[in-house]
Amino acid sequence: MLYCDGSMADGPALSGYWLPDLPGLDLEVYERPLGPGHVPLRLPMLTPRALRQILTALKANRAEFLARRSLLEIVAAIDAAARRLTTPGDAYYDELVTVLPQLTGYSVRMIEIGLERMGAAWKAEALHGSLEGEFGTVDVLDDFQPREPRGFQRAFGAPLTTHIFSGNIPGVSVASLIRALCVKSAAFGKTAAGEPYFAVCFARALAAEDPELASCLAVTYWPGGSEDLEAVAFSEAGVVIAYGADETVSGIASRVPPSVRFIGYRNRLGAALVSRGSLKRADVPSLARNAALDVVTFDQQGCVSPHTIYVETGGETEPLDFARELGVALGELAVEIPRGTMAPGESALIHQLRAQAEMRGATVLASEGGTEWTVILEDRVEFEPSPLNRVIQVQPVGDLSEAVTALESIGRHLQTVAIAVAADEVSALAARLGAIGATRLVAVGEAAWPAPHWHHDGRFQFLDLVHFVDLDTD
Amino acid sequence: METHDDLRAEVLSFIRRGLDAPPGEGVFERLALAVFEYQLSSNAPYRRFCDRRKMSPGSVAHWGDIPAVPTAAFKEAALVCGDPSAAEIVFRTSGTSQGRERRGSHYISDLALYGAAALPNFRAHLLPDGTPMKMLVLGPTLDMAPDSSLTWMLDRVCRAFGTKDSAHFLGEDGLRFDAIISELGESESAERPIMILGTAAAFAHLLDELDERDRRFQLPIGSRVMETGGFKGAGREIPRDKFYARLTQRLGLSELYCVAEYGMTEMCSQFYDNVLYERARGHNPALRYKVVPPWVRTQVVDAESLEPLPSGEAGLLRHFDLANLHSVMVIQTDDLGIASSEGFEILGRASGAELRGCSIAMDQWLTAQR
Repeated sequence: MLYCDGSMADGPALSGYWLPDLPGLDLEVYERPLGPGHVPLRLPMLTPRALRQILTALKANRAEFLARRSLLEIVAAIDAAARRLTTPGDAYYDELVTVLPQLTGYSVRMIEIGLERMGAAWKAEALHGSLEGEFGTVDVLDDFQPREPRGFQRAFGAPLTTHIFSGNIPGVSVASLIRALCVKSAAFGKTAAGEPYFAVCFARALAAEDPELASCLAVTYWPGGSEDLEAVAFSEAGVVIAYGADETVSGIASRVPPSVRFIGYRNRLGAALVSRGSLKRADVPSLARNAALDVVTFDQQGCVSPHTIYVETGGETEPLDFARELGVALGELAVEIPRGTMAPGESALIHQLRAQAEMRGATVLASEGGTEWTVILEDRVEFEPSPLNRVIQVQPVGDLSEAVTALESIGRHLQTVAIAVAADEVSALAARLGAIGATRLVAVGEAAWPAPHWHHDGRFQFLDLVHFVDLDTD
Repeated sequence: METHDDLRAEVLSFIRRGLDAPPGEGVFERLALAVFEYQLSSNAPYRRFCDRRKMSPGSVAHWGDIPAVPTAAFKEAALVCGDPSAAEIVFRTSGTSQGRERRGSHYISDLALYGAAALPNFRAHLLPDGTPMKMLVLGPTLDMAPDSSLTWMLDRVCRAFGTKDSAHFLGEDGLRFDAIISELGESESAERPIMILGTAAAFAHLLDELDERDRRFQLPIGSRVMETGGFKGAGREIPRDKFYARLTQRLGLSELYCVAEYGMTEMCSQFYDNVLYERARGHNPALRYKVVPPWVRTQVVDAESLEPLPSGEAGLLRHFDLANLHSVMVIQTDDLGIASSEGFEILGRASGAELRGCSIAMDQWLTAQR
């Protein structure tokens, strides 16, 4: 069991890796401070040769313990591990709530909320629902199933799936590993300096519940640019999944062998659309609070986070009053869910942008004495990315179609659009947003929390990881 | 209230006391408050900026309380006293690294005052020995870059302190390496010291070329370098100590003859390393730092609260420059630095903080849109 009493500076450094037991593999371990919090982690000194041994072992373990397991059993084990990570009072949960804020800089409350909301997607029922949603029947992962109009089919995950994580949102790494296990693929995860710990903790919790399954997982960190290690991790895998900035993901894509399937999750941007009909005076405080929650959650670091809110004029509440309510809600949430720690550059950027917007004639509503929250109301319709960390722009529009036009310019980067419109307006607006590249439309307030069964960047979570085998012997 | 002309005359005479003058705290305080009052009355965007913060001469008792304008504000407003169209020149930030982003504009309506601050400061830190020198400028001529404050200043400096054969070495296709190398050889063989001036990026290109050609010079004693700015355009950052090691190795200069300048489009005054200035006074400078001229004050403020920090703590630099009489006296930069009793040290640019993942922030976006 891992040592953790919250006084990491004095205690032994946390272990930042999970590797299968391998007789004869004796790795040197070194310490390195990681994350915005510079928390020292113990890490193995990997060589390409050692990594190849590890990945070979993962594939052997997978053949023995994972490939022949029923999906129901696998999902049950994941569920049990996920409960330990997300149930207050459990040692694993308590450890995450202690370690992640120090490591990532996010506030304790933010981490608690993140564990609760993300954990829900890792429970058996949610996983089962997501798998059925994509495969029709999950039995197709266990055996050949009849298929229309004739013949049979079965889905096979790759022997090994390699994951290259980004460090912005804790827990995305765990979701990614879980997806691979669900298609009976061994999973290797390379963590990011920004959040190198959650995936390791998941592997340990899984080992406590189901050591055989956990022997099909390996997680570790190495500094970006270690191309000799990457080459092994890529060539040994059947599928490589990478998360990160456009440049990072493109770089990885160029190094993955052509015979290996590559899935990249790149830079994405979000926005929100608010119709005049949803600006009834009585509804505005809760609407503003929901919009503020989308901004506050993980301090806009996520690909799902909104950067600009387009608000229709002519409703019971005008955009200026909506912006004021939004400021009030952000002020309250600054206390309820404190923002993470800021690098000097992040704060400086916000001060500069506030002044720039002010000089341009925008209305700047902002926290006093610091940069906790900023609302910039400006009479122009143009998408502009936020400097993040709770800076949100509000742009009045005569009609939401103007907002759709503005968002069209970022189509390749567009992902989540949170909408507050009347029920009978939803489908027409959704059709327009979908056509310009949005891949997720949700109610304002839910932007930060994708449904367990979502199409991440418009793609399948599980189907992308498998190959189907057709059996047509008649 | 005194007239603007009186105020200008007082500021000018305060500046003309030179670099060796005592700080003159009392006079600086009085002038700073008078300049603030003048700028409130004549600089409309600055007045609105202060009004929104409920700051007026009545609420400002000390120069440190005068509201600072972040440099980014210069991208959106003509922050100048009086009619912007009456400006003698408008200096613009380069804005080359950020795609479609707007360039900052500093409207200068008093070039004489600019020169009165810039020239003696340069002379004190680059030519404390007082001799005119041959200057090689690794940058554009004023014709090529008429709105660059650095180019303007180097032009003035060359004309004031350079010998007649001083010249610029940037052509249409980049640095004219052959000509530069021939000048270096000539200086070496004729034992005639030279001064080379340029951005750090330009020096990096020159050093690469000298590496490429495997050329090394032993410039005569007294030769010196003024380098400024970051490595924008050089394609990479080079740590300062490595940069100086390469400079000294390739040119045969002592590091004490390498002087970094720190200036910005939004400020009429500049800062220089102490090294040569102190050496001329017989000291052997143990630490390299930026010297604050007597007509300027520099504070280090907390990046989050913008409150002044105790000496020795790192934060954002904020400058109070009396030579900015006709624009905005107090400039909030996003440069990170540490104050010392003697001056300050620059730690780098705070902005463009590293991002943590798949969200995309402004810098990246602007780059991606290019």
